[in-house]
Amino acid sequence: MFALSRASVRSVSRSALRSFGAVQTADKHTLILVRHGESTWNLENKFTGWYDCPLSDKGHEEVKEAGRLIKAEGLTADVAFTSLLQRAIRTLWHVLEQTGLMWIPVHKAWELNERHYGALQGLDKQETVNKYGKDQVLVWRRSYDIPPPTVDKSSPHHPSNDPRYAGFDFPEEFTESLATTLDRVVPFWNKTIVPEIKSGKTVMIAAHGNSLRALVKHLDGIDEATIAELNIPTGTPLIYELDDNLKPIPQAGAIAPLQGRYLGDQDAIRARIEGVKNQTK
Amino acid sequence: MVMFQSIFVLVASFVSCSAFTANGFHGKFARNKSSSTALSMAHTLVLVRHGESTWNQENRFTGWVDCPLNEKGIQEATSGGKILREEGFTFDKAYTSTLKRAIKTLWLILEELDLMYIPIVNLWKLNERHYGALQGLNKQETVDKHGKEQVLVWRRSYDIPPPPVDESSEYFPGNDPMYKNVPKSELPKAESLKLTEERFMSDWENVILPEIKSGKKILIAAHGNTLRALVKHLDDISSDDITELNIPTGVPLVYELDEVTLKPIPHPDAIAPLKGRYLGDQEDIRRRIGAVLAQTK
Repeated sequence: MFALSRASVRSVSRSALRSFGAVQTADKHTLILVRHGESTWNLENKFTGWYDCPLSDKGHEEVKEAGRLIKAEGLTADVAFTSLLQRAIRTLWHVLEQTGLMWIPVHKAWELNERHYGALQGLDKQETVNKYGKDQVLVWRRSYDIPPPTVDKSSPHHPSNDPRYAGFDFPEEFTESLATTLDRVVPFWNKTIVPEIKSGKTVMIAAHGNSLRALVKHLDGIDEATIAELNIPTGTPLIYELDDNLKPIPQAGAIAPLQGRYLGDQDAIRARIEGVKNQTK
Repeated sequence: MVMFQSIFVLVASFVSCSAFTANGFHGKFARNKSSSTALSMAHTLVLVRHGESTWNQENRFTGWVDCPLNEKGIQEATSGGKILREEGFTFDKAYTSTLKRAIKTLWLILEELDLMYIPIVNLWKLNERHYGALQGLNKQETVDKHGKEQVLVWRRSYDIPPPPVDESSEYFPGNDPMYKNVPKSELPKAESLKLTEERFMSDWENVILPEIKSGKKILIAAHGNTLRALVKHLDDISSDDITELNIPTGVPLVYELDEVTLKPIPHPDAIAPLKGRYLGDQEDIRRRIGAVLAQTK
């Protein structure tokens, strides 16, 4: 009789544990974000935007390391999203290779592109400061909703002159601010990415400084002034756990105002978050 | 007569201009055989067999085992990409398998072509033929164990599959998370070329062909046996002949399919029994087509 009751106690606690575990995992959706590594134009300190430059040698190494960190963390993904720009696509490819996930479906979308830098695309950041003054450039770079001057269809930087955007209609005069970037990132997130998450898939996104800013602003409820100053370090995996309402569950080790946490050397990451501000002194 | 010819030239130059700007170089022309003055657009389809893998190098039966390209395979893929770039090819969409040696080959080619942004679809039905219980075994050791004739039958017969793997085996795809969304009954335990062809052709008909018909330029990076299955179908090659056909690794194989019939328009540089042509050093390619036979002498 003693043995019987002991067995039944064991089986009760086992089923309790199982349902507890089930509750834990059912509530949680993992989202992996990676900003692309250093590009050749980052290196040359040029405004890049939609210009399709490749990763620099350092950029390649940064994102291979990102892949290794994700793998070491024991994370996997079912589907990936990225932009139409090769620096993000290549970043994703490195991460997929390192994590043994080269076979998962990948969706490429212009809506995840970097913010378009209008007439500043191709210009050197320091030269632009010398020409327009530090304050004006700071406004174009860091204001939430004031875009740089536009380009028109005669410019090679206008998307109508690039076959990859052939199916889309862009305004005659084109440029973007962080605000307008968010206006195309968030609807894409809601329409295309959210259904995947809700169907139980773990999503990985490899994108750009401003498209990721738009996304985390939306996820973490960050205000306009703060997001315009927020730096997301390149090639550093940023992990979110979202509840069933797709709200972030604050992660231990998260660096405010984000609720997701970075993988890697936390001190080095904090130092890098401070570092980007120095590009136009 | 002169007016007709000048209209003809006008039409031809208009069509060729729009072909150039909208489709790059390779919105190709093909003469419709029934009328020498009528022009029909052909569909461009390019096939590439992945380059050398680490297990090719070790002379092991690979099948569905997901081994990577080795250095040579990477170079082969990059060269394939370079040739395509030099000849002005562009693509709208690409298909490949779920195996990294084919995916990496595709990635390297797209990088060379500056086409990393095109959609890529991974189809497990494009995977290499599953080699059953032979997967992982060294080819020469297998000959020593089972005899040359038996191995030749397993390798080169059209419809005799190698011995199957057990459902509990690590080599049964049902145990691989990669295939978790595929019903286990559809996943192979061993395949002959015939079985490979049958499962591949359903994706060719239902997935790839409609895209070709809609005018998209397609690039397929795949494996020796799935590409055999495809060219057997395209070029009407017999079951006997297809088992001996070697498709050299990393060499782009270009088909122009008639817009109406979807049959390949035979290219003058084609090496029989194929109607498509390989890009690159033709003598080197001919030599390589002979080389694969030597692997199990």
